[in-house]
Amino acid sequence: MDKILQTIVIDWIPDKAKVVDFGCGDGALLRILAEEKSILGYGVENDPVKINGCIKNGVPVIQQDIDECIQHYRDMDFDVAIMASSIQCLRKPRNAMQNILKVANECVITLPNFGNWELRAGLLRGKMPSSVQLPAKWYETKNLHLCTIVDFEELCKEESFNIKKKVYLNNKGASSWLTNTFPNLFAAEAVYLIG
Amino acid sequence: MNVVSKKILFNEPLTLGSGEMLPGFELMTETYGELNQEKSNAVLVCHAFSGNHHAAGIKEENAKPGWWDELIGDGKTIDTEKYFIVSLNNIGGCHGSTGPTSISPKTEQAFGAGFPEVSVSDWVETQKLLADHLEIDCWEMVVGGSLGGMQALQWAISYPDKIKKAAIIAASSKISTQNIALNEVAREIIKKDECFHNGDYLSHGETPSKGLKAARMLGHITYLSESNMSKRFGRKLQDPQTKMDADINYEVENYLQYKGEQFAKTFDANSYILMTKAMDSFDPAKNFDHDLVKCLKSIQAKLLIASFDSDWLFPKEYGLDIQMSAIKAGIDSTYIELNGEYGHDSFLFYSNDYSVALKNFLNSNG
Repeated sequence: MDKILQTIVIDWIPDKAKVVDFGCGDGALLRILAEEKSILGYGVENDPVKINGCIKNGVPVIQQDIDECIQHYRDMDFDVAIMASSIQCLRKPRNAMQNILKVANECVITLPNFGNWELRAGLLRGKMPSSVQLPAKWYETKNLHLCTIVDFEELCKEESFNIKKKVYLNNKGASSWLTNTFPNLFAAEAVYLIG
Repeated sequence: MNVVSKKILFNEPLTLGSGEMLPGFELMTETYGELNQEKSNAVLVCHAFSGNHHAAGIKEENAKPGWWDELIGDGKTIDTEKYFIVSLNNIGGCHGSTGPTSISPKTEQAFGAGFPEVSVSDWVETQKLLADHLEIDCWEMVVGGSLGGMQALQWAISYPDKIKKAAIIAASSKISTQNIALNEVAREIIKKDECFHNGDYLSHGETPSKGLKAARMLGHITYLSESNMSKRFGRKLQDPQTKMDADINYEVENYLQYKGEQFAKTFDANSYILMTKAMDSFDPAKNFDHDLVKCLKSIQAKLLIASFDSDWLFPKEYGLDIQMSAIKAGIDSTYIELNGEYGHDSFLFYSNDYSVALKNFLNSNG
């Protein structure tokens, strides 16, 4: 995870929180959160290589498919649920969104913005767009449900999800006048605190 | 690899969970590697239902290697160059530790069916005495598969500060009704052997080997996966030259006959009954209002819970059930699902993912 993005996420998570990270990768974020915020964190991941990274990192992890398991994480007293760049990989992102707020009081969601001008330009050239956030070729990508910032915020409105905080970042991981004024065009990534 | 086999005598009487008492007992042990000066590199390996203390290495020429030799040894998953591994035969067993074939000091005859009921907790208590004897204050890891995994879990519950990590493999916090049913059929088969004599076959100079063999044949089917059996035997016909019995048609029949017969030569029928009873009764949550979450709350050790996808005897839901309760309890616990082609028995065999996970877990800190 990009350093600036990481700083934002860490800043939003309270000390000693009980945290679940859906799509936790090798557990790097949870490890930092454990060190800096003394959280009790669990990762959910389905890739055996990444899971072994978690075990090596000493991060508790559960090998499961997020689409299938997310509803089982209710009633576990989580304070915060994180879904960092994973929502677009899910088969049922809407279902996951509906569930995630039942899993925890608050959730942190980060997503790549498919409306970003570079991606639009790629498509204009007649090619499947790629960027730092979306590096994979069309035939290799794990992304099933990409969306733009406008799309995502529309879904939040429809589902009455309360966006408590949001930050738009450009492809250098920085927030600027451009990203804040025209996020759907200039932000490469969006970070939300939903509660 | 430095291998030491030793029978250790414990003179103090041991009160079992059932209230019955053993006046003293012996544990047959095997250790691999060297205990470091700080005594901080000790790993306890707990055997499964029909296992024993011989977990690694080859004792004599042409003999079979230990049951977990694929994972224990110099440079292996549980590295004997780094760790001191302790393995033992549990009481009630039949490979050197005090069990039904041992002589009771009271009657000066074999305990036989009179051997007291033992439980997973009782085994953990004897293993704790063994740790004290070896002056090991805290295990770096306690590990086991199946019934061995139950012992690892019980350790984490019974002695929160005496164990840093528990690897609970192909195990469960209590077995299913179906598991109990299968165990009961196996016990019934043994008891119906005409040589069983209500468990006192030793004083009759007989052994119920036919019953033991048939019980093992049934058990063996449950340890393998259907796909593994199909792949290995299919519907291949047995070579008439090597048939164990004239009635045999298929290779799989011959295989089960052979495995059953080999087992019956080395295993004791009363031990079989007693070990399956210990498995049936394992349910640590029952002391905590049947609430597994409550039961796991005091655990300080890190847990690694591993299930195998082809295991239908102890399916992944069992492992996940412990994991979900562990999360509710707020303890450090990881759950992984491994590919294993051998069904329940997959825990016995090396595979890359299995080995990497276990190795990373053992070597992780913090």
